Amino acid sequence: MIVAENVEKRFGETLVLKRVNLRVEPGEVVTILGASGSGKSTLIRCINGLETLSGGKITVDGHDVSTKAGLVAARRASATVFQLFNLYPHMTALRNITLAPIEVLKLPKAEAEARARALLDKVGLAAHADAYPQQLSGGQRQRVGICRALAMQPRYLLLDEVTSALDPEMTGDVLRILAELAADGTTMVFVTHEIEFARHISSRIVFLEQGELIVDLPTAQFFAEDGGLAVPRIRQFLSKMKKD
Amino acid sequence: MRYADFTPYDIILLLQGLGVTLALFIGTTLIGLAIGLLLAVVHHYRIPGCRPVIVVVTEALKNSPVLVQLFLVFFGIPAFLHIRMTPVEAATLTISLNTAAFAFVIFRSGIESIDRDQIEAAKVFGLNRSQILRLVIAPQATAFAVGPLVGILVNQLQVTSLISVIGVFDLTKIGNILNLRTLQPFIVWAVIGLIYYIAAKTLAHVGGRIEAALRKSVKWGGI
Repeated sequence: MIVAENVEKRFGETLVLKRVNLRVEPGEVVTILGASGSGKSTLIRCINGLETLSGGKITVDGHDVSTKAGLVAARRASATVFQLFNLYPHMTALRNITLAPIEVLKLPKAEAEARARALLDKVGLAAHADAYPQQLSGGQRQRVGICRALAMQPRYLLLDEVTSALDPEMTGDVLRILAELAADGTTMVFVTHEIEFARHISSRIVFLEQGELIVDLPTAQFFAEDGGLAVPRIRQFLSKMKKD
Repeated sequence: MRYADFTPYDIILLLQGLGVTLALFIGTTLIGLAIGLLLAVVHHYRIPGCRPVIVVVTEALKNSPVLVQLFLVFFGIPAFLHIRMTPVEAATLTISLNTAAFAFVIFRSGIESIDRDQIEAAKVFGLNRSQILRLVIAPQATAFAVGPLVGILVNQLQVTSLISVIGVFDLTKIGNILNLRTLQPFIVWAVIGLIYYIAAKTLAHVGGRIEAALRKSVKWGGI
């Protein structure tokens, strides 16, 4: 379980996250919605320890990310897929995927590679195992990014606007894979602007507004007239996103 | 045969001089690259208090004449610290530090050329500092650095000629000796110059080959 309690994050004078509380149980798909700059990505970056908290506490399976040992254990339990893929450009797709399993999980090379190939096959990239990121399209790179995360066999998958840098066709490819993962019961924390997709795969939706988590509802309720839509800010946000 | 004539033995003298030049060049290159790399790593990790010191010292080394540095080390340090220093020791120390200063700048920009995003990804996936340095930063920084480093080293090979001034028997010193004996400066210095030229060209060629091999093995198009 991922638990965020009264999480605060400050960049200089600006309070980016204000007393945010969030719980993600195993098996859930929790989508974080909100306008740009509302603190969605920062929240993900606090969970995976790329930002240090200014206040509050985050635990992943009980491991406090603000302690050194806790962060190591928390990072072992989760894996992140990034908006801009963040692949290692000097390594092939296969090596990108096997690096951490070999170095961190200490898997034998052959086993790590067999697993990586199986994952690449699953996302339709079996033929591109030896390609370098530069030789792949954005959508293919992001699929490698997803494989890299899955190769760690994480309990939690953190997805930080993973389709924002992709064109609509590539977005479709990536979302199809995520939908399969959700159907398999993968626990996900999903920061996105793809509202229809979020509605389709999420068990819960939370809404961040200027660093405050103002709504946390099961998906059906979030889109119900007497639920999330009763909140003027959310109604406004959703209608605006639909128009775009 | 007159005393002033060239003799076959002069070839051995020239080879000895070349040997001293190359040995000093290779030694100072290895020491300089190691120190330069160490400085770049220390700089990268922002170890408290180290950054300004490294920057000031390397800037001083890069922006003052090597001959002046050589005099400071050879005459200045023994006078100041009351220790003895042979010409070879002074030459090795000076050129090593000078090479280190240039290597530091190249390695630093090599490290800085790497996207922070990848390093964040490696951290999130649980790689520790030394794994990130070894597996993510080093290969890319090396590929970035090889070209500029070869350029610097070709230059440093010529710079070693300055050590003849403090009495190291390198190629230039041998040239001096032959010149004084034969009084044929045009022939002597043309030959000496040609030997430096061949050595520098060979070095540039080898460096080019290494760079090409790196480019070929890393098809990512990053260099």
